[in-house]
Amino acid sequence: MSGNRSAPGWWVVLGQELRDVWLGGRGPALTFAFSLILSAVAYLVATNTALNFLEQREAVGLIVQVTVAMGGILVVIAAADAISGERDRGTLEALLLAPVPRRQIAAGKLAAALSLWPAAFLVALPYVWFLGRGVGVVGDAVVVGLLVGSLLALELGALGLVLSLFAGSNRVSLALSLFVLLGLFAPTQLSAGAQQGWAGDLMLRANPLTAGVHYVGRVLVDGHSLGRDADLLVAPAVAAVALAAVALLASGRMRLRPGGAR
Amino acid sequence: MAAAVVAEHVGRDYGAVCAVSDLSFEVEPGDVVGVLGRNGAGKTTSIRVLTTIVAPTRGRFAVAGVPHTRPDEIRRRIGVLPEGGGYPARQTGEEHLVYHARLHGASRAAARAAAAALLEEFGLADRARTPLHAYSLGMRRRLGIARALVNGPAVVFLDEPTLGLDPAGRRVVLDHVRAVAAGRGAAVLLSTHLLDDVEACCTRVLILHRGRTVAAGTVSEVVARAAAPRSAVVRVAPVDARRAVAILAAAPGVGAAGEALDRPGEVRVDLAADPAAALRALLDAGIAPLGLTVEGARLSDAFLEMTGAA
Repeated sequence: MSGNRSAPGWWVVLGQELRDVWLGGRGPALTFAFSLILSAVAYLVATNTALNFLEQREAVGLIVQVTVAMGGILVVIAAADAISGERDRGTLEALLLAPVPRRQIAAGKLAAALSLWPAAFLVALPYVWFLGRGVGVVGDAVVVGLLVGSLLALELGALGLVLSLFAGSNRVSLALSLFVLLGLFAPTQLSAGAQQGWAGDLMLRANPLTAGVHYVGRVLVDGHSLGRDADLLVAPAVAAVALAAVALLASGRMRLRPGGAR
Repeated sequence: MAAAVVAEHVGRDYGAVCAVSDLSFEVEPGDVVGVLGRNGAGKTTSIRVLTTIVAPTRGRFAVAGVPHTRPDEIRRRIGVLPEGGGYPARQTGEEHLVYHARLHGASRAAARAAAAALLEEFGLADRARTPLHAYSLGMRRRLGIARALVNGPAVVFLDEPTLGLDPAGRRVVLDHVRAVAAGRGAAVLLSTHLLDDVEACCTRVLILHRGRTVAAGTVSEVVARAAAPRSAVVRVAPVDARRAVAILAAAPGVGAAGEALDRPGEVRVDLAADPAAALRALLDAGIAPLGLTVEGARLSDAFLEMTGAA
């Protein structure tokens, strides 16, 4: 952006939010915590002989699934703080006084929250390369991880932003976001039997998180081509677009008091 | 020249609660208007309505000639120091001003130049790179006023800018408020509980009570309108003091009179009207008043009387 031209509001907000996230320490701290978790998982699947019961492709699949899930968690944590955090810290009014449309403020903040996802993915790349070398799965893992992770990050970031717009406090926003996230994860913990049959299949495909995670497994573990199970990406894609649209529409109702009339 | 702010019967309800019922006034460019009111009188809500943070439930207003139906346009022409301030702890003073200047549409270079000039003007240039959590309250308030000026506003709204400051800090902030109006020609609306601040730097005053404008005008107009002298001390020769008490107590326009115990010759009277009739009664009785001090003709009395707290 040229130094002599004024930038659009969302771009200005994004720049400031990126500084807050990455220079303020929250982004590096969350990414570091993620890297510790990923290191522990990678260590267990790669070196512990008692627990190392996974095939190499399965190990890569597990790492990508963990990365996609954790990336979503990092994004939702940042997005859930976006508006309610400003409200709690007493800084929202000064922001609302700027002549920037509220949707642009929300878009800048959502984009900044989403920046945690590529950072998490970058952290995961060495693990993917190390565990996947020699079986020709690294390229697929990068493509699938980036595709599924980006959809889930957008979907969860938008969800966090919507909750942040209407939550009474930052704690409520964060707690609700993580609660919804856990609810989306819950079906992955069901027994294999419960996940089979038409009801199980419908639940798997309708839930964007389980559908995305299963797509990763089908491609990386079962060795399917990228296009063969593309129908599993319908729910993540629809959810990402729909929730992002809802977040941008709802942000027009960004208020000093949550849910209040302007 | 168009009025800086015109409000006509503006009201704001929150559900069943009426926060502002009837706000009507006019402010000219260069005026410093003190907005006074007791807790809950509607000062902050009024400022939030006028600064487009909340929409009016009824009535209409225009700021810098822009009607309230165009809030984005109004926000381009105003500067605001909100009640809570809104200072992100991790930003530096310079970063904060540059950010807000850019939100108002300045280019990066112009925003940096504006921030540097404002930091210099408000005595914060040496703390430009200090995070805001390390700023004192007075420094934050000065930065808040500087932030309100990043866009060269026509109208500046300051909500309790001196609250919690020591006398020196208050004086510095009030000096800046005067300079904003005098040097930049901006109208300033200063919401405060501190009547001394209003007397010190405001050209006009607006008193709100239960969400309604109960007085608007220059400080002296408001004082003259509402605060009739409330008490006086009449000095007479000590030998005449007891007789003077009796005469004054019976004089028209005097509520009560009594001898000051520790000051021989001083008679304190409660006035319900002009003290001239009381003085005439003394003279008619052959008592020469040696002095008269009328108390109570201050903004605080007007405020207390108009807000029902007297």
